[in-house]
Amino acid sequence: MSAPSMTPTPSKAGPPRPSPPSGAGSVPPAGRFARNLKRNLTAHGFLIGAVLCFGVFSWYPMVREFFLAFQKTENGRTDWVGFDNLVTVFNDPAFWQAWGNTGLFTLLALVLGFAVPFLVAVVINEFRHGQGYLRLLVYLPVMLPPVASVLLFKYLYDPGYGLLNELFTSIGLPEQQWLQDPDISMLAVVIASTWMNMGGATLIYLAALQSIPGELYEAAELDGAGLLRKIWHVTIPQTRLILSLMALMQVIATMQVFVEPFLLTGGAGPEGSTTTVVHLIYQYAFNFNDYGAAAALGLLLLVLLAGFSAVYVKLSRAEDE
Amino acid sequence: MSTRTLISPAVLARPRGKALYWTVFAVVVLLFTLVFLGPLYWLVSSGFKDAQEVIATPPTLVPESFEPENYTRAWEVMDLATLLFNTLYYAFGALAFQLVLDVAAAYSLSKLRPVFGKAILGMMLATLMIPATVLVVPQYLTVLDVPVIERNLLNSPWAIWLPAVTNAFNIFLLKRFFDSIPKELLDAASMDGASPLRVLWSIVLPISRPILGVVSIFAVVGVWKDFLWPMLTLPDPSKQTLNVGIYSLSNGVPVNVLIAALTIASVPTLLIFLVFQRNIMSGLTAGGLKG
Amino acid sequence: MRSARFRRSRRAAAITLVSALSLTALAACGTSSSGDDGGDGAQQNGSSDPTIPLDPKTKVTLTIDCMPPAAKAAELKEWKEDVAEFNKTYPNVTIEGRSTPGQCLEPPRFTAMLKAKSQPDVFYTYFTDLPQVLAEDGAADISAYVSPKTVPLLKDIDPNVLDSLRHQGNLYGLPTSNYTMGLLINRKLFKDAGLNPDAPPRTWDEVRAAAKKIAALGDGIAGFGEYSAGNTGGWHFTAQMYSLGGDVVDASGTKAAFNNELGKQVARNLHAMRWEDDSMGKTQLLKWGDLQKQIATDKLGMFLAAPDDIAYMVQQLGAKYENFGMGPIPGGKNTLAGGNNYMVKKGISPDKIKAAVAWLNFKNLTVGKGQFDWARTKADGLPVGIPQPNFWLNGSKTKDDAARVEHATMPVENFKAFMDNPVAGKAEPPKAQEVYKILDNVMSGLLTNKDADVDKLLSTAEAQVNQILAHQ
Repeated sequence: MSAPSMTPTPSKAGPPRPSPPSGAGSVPPAGRFARNLKRNLTAHGFLIGAVLCFGVFSWYPMVREFFLAFQKTENGRTDWVGFDNLVTVFNDPAFWQAWGNTGLFTLLALVLGFAVPFLVAVVINEFRHGQGYLRLLVYLPVMLPPVASVLLFKYLYDPGYGLLNELFTSIGLPEQQWLQDPDISMLAVVIASTWMNMGGATLIYLAALQSIPGELYEAAELDGAGLLRKIWHVTIPQTRLILSLMALMQVIATMQVFVEPFLLTGGAGPEGSTTTVVHLIYQYAFNFNDYGAAAALGLLLLVLLAGFSAVYVKLSRAEDE
Repeated sequence: MSTRTLISPAVLARPRGKALYWTVFAVVVLLFTLVFLGPLYWLVSSGFKDAQEVIATPPTLVPESFEPENYTRAWEVMDLATLLFNTLYYAFGALAFQLVLDVAAAYSLSKLRPVFGKAILGMMLATLMIPATVLVVPQYLTVLDVPVIERNLLNSPWAIWLPAVTNAFNIFLLKRFFDSIPKELLDAASMDGASPLRVLWSIVLPISRPILGVVSIFAVVGVWKDFLWPMLTLPDPSKQTLNVGIYSLSNGVPVNVLIAALTIASVPTLLIFLVFQRNIMSGLTAGGLKG
Repeated sequence: MRSARFRRSRRAAAITLVSALSLTALAACGTSSSGDDGGDGAQQNGSSDPTIPLDPKTKVTLTIDCMPPAAKAAELKEWKEDVAEFNKTYPNVTIEGRSTPGQCLEPPRFTAMLKAKSQPDVFYTYFTDLPQVLAEDGAADISAYVSPKTVPLLKDIDPNVLDSLRHQGNLYGLPTSNYTMGLLINRKLFKDAGLNPDAPPRTWDEVRAAAKKIAALGDGIAGFGEYSAGNTGGWHFTAQMYSLGGDVVDASGTKAAFNNELGKQVARNLHAMRWEDDSMGKTQLLKWGDLQKQIATDKLGMFLAAPDDIAYMVQQLGAKYENFGMGPIPGGKNTLAGGNNYMVKKGISPDKIKAAVAWLNFKNLTVGKGQFDWARTKADGLPVGIPQPNFWLNGSKTKDDAARVEHATMPVENFKAFMDNPVAGKAEPPKAQEVYKILDNVMSGLLTNKDADVDKLLSTAEAQVNQILAHQ
């Protein structure tokens, strides 16, 4: 079985291979050149708007990040300071904690934000009734203004008058301090974040599940496979590509989570337990007015993410073929 | 759809299978309703409680007090109309820019294939790997003084619209879809002397409806969900988005009024969603990423 | 910056290739806000001599932030009335107010605003913001514009207050309010717990004992509350250090001064109240605004506050002012003193500066007018009789105090303990907001972790503060 395609390909043959410009070869060289030039000008004309936006708002800031990381601006004067900013960042007692938190956050977000929607999609996909209703429910929170959802969760989590503890005690579980317990504050943040955002991923998984040919399950049953083995040997391999892409998207999305911890725990959280690298960057820039340190830390994060990007590019390449 | 899924129809047809199916179904429906509608019920009902009850320990599931004036007060202090208008203005502006510029770019990269096209695409995709928040400092500095045109875009919708165009994921989706359009279809049109723009307009776009739907949803939701960027670039309270507006309000009013405000802020989009849910859902499931 | 300009010109060359599509998009960016700074020469017809007050014929538009939001309906109404009355004298000055619900000034947003130079013509700051504003070159020196001619009661304004707006002898702002911190109490809960609301606790031991009694009322009621987020945790930690005669930054301004016995005493006391006595409530990570909500709904017995919090609670949270009382800060060695003010954006025209001074004088610095029009404040249902803001001296003080008593809307004796036992004010530390941000972590650690390691919390914060202080 070939790898599943990411697009609604009309034919089973997969996307057409790139082809050389039409008519090449039948035209004399000079005409071909003129044609090529014209084609290229048109093509770049179509591109230029987006490229300019990328240039100004994406690529240029990336380059600038690099410069900022080695500069310091004070009282309107900008100086080169070499590795001073990096040293500042490294000496910050919050530095390693922030990386640890980011790692923990990513792990939790993978377990919850990535696995939960998949399981939910698998379950929903089995139902012959009420699929529309369940899909609607799961997607509902995506439509709420995120700040409203986050503040709602803050209210639910409140250890005094929050509903969640009430629920816990009513079914015999111990009360929790949720956002105020350094041990579980991050988990509480991730749960809120998953509730808010899982709708999109669930729908994508559902679409992927629905395109799995039913014969594969039949074949597996003939081999005597049970439910779990069918999931392991059919469902997961058949959605492997979309799963791996979503996992990466999830990691990257996690890296930029800002609003949830910012509003739920004030960003830093109890004993700094929800301080992520991104929050630290924000704090350097907008609390401490130290753009150099912010950029230096950002640069470190960029380097780390370069590793992820390698994986991503590899995956999308593999899928191209 | 009656496609075959994980559990075989034969198993489900058996009495035991049937019973199990309905049990699981009931539990899941109940659980999901509780998890996803429960908090919303809590939100709406708490908005009716008085200042004492809303922070009572233990909390009351059914309001014992009834203060609908929380909602009137919330409406007055929040200026929801402005916030909502601003947000929609930014969202649909961003959508328009993305539809024009990103579709043009994806079309060019997919079908016109200019020199350096691959490199440009690669550079665009590279930005996917970098969380927006990491670049927020240099991006913010850039918006304060945009190179070439030397403008300060602060407090102007351009600060939202133009950066929104740098949505590499949407370009990626569009390009992949365009890639799948048979070349013969376009060649035939080119032979008839149609310009690339015409081909895009009358052949490519009509086939691409589903992906355009998906991209549009992503574009609008992107602006709708954003918080940090609009908080930094739109400091003028009269130009704020809904998210930032609620945030500024959050510590200036009593808890019950705040909760009423959250409810009001959630209603418009929930309504839009419920009315258009068929289109949105089918757009997201059918058009986008198939596995 | 040279290299940036070079890049720009290169880009300018490249732009000739731009397609019409994107050109229109970018060209339309001309509607940006960058045009509203700088002098608008067309409107200038007044004198440019700063010592001459604003000519009423001068036509200027002033943007100003921290206008009361819709949530403060009564104050907003007064603002509009004041603008109307001001316009009787200066019909050609247009006051364009901007309002933010909640806190007018949040440090991160303020930092971004200064960096972007997007502050309005007249902008609201805390006393502690002056160094940051000057570092960003954001405020105009208004020394020449402020004289007994433009601000008639200048000589009656507490020089300590004005001094906190001076740098190297130059004046950069005009005060709107000042405060010293005290202990704000909920009188009803005091009575319910069998405590005397007219004698608020005077030492931290008494606070602890009273908190325990109040918390024993149950029903989710906390005896004493503290902040631990949004810089306000650090702010209050500082206030507690001051109250015991301590400091958070040493006299040289370069070293943290809280990792010592006094700091540990503050920390241990808080930790004990939170965890041994369980008298500080379960909900933590609170910031400014949260404790006010609690005490306004009778869920909190006491917290450290400035007197003007009462106005906020009555107006926005629907509290009753009879319910509050105030005592001096426990410990009583020093009390944190601060305040708010308006500054004028650097680079705006002299006429605008004059208009700004005229407006600020009318609204905030005239006995019997604007914010000191106590008769009106009473008529609008706002509290009168709160001890601060009060930066008057001499004849103005006599006059203003008499008016406060005459129109008092609350039993002034509720503040007797605070008024009769003044504690020496102590200014906030250098790099105050940064230091507060770091001390937030100490507070949140103490209040959220039962096993908090006091020594480690303080030493970590010390290292971070030293790093911030070394950076100047």
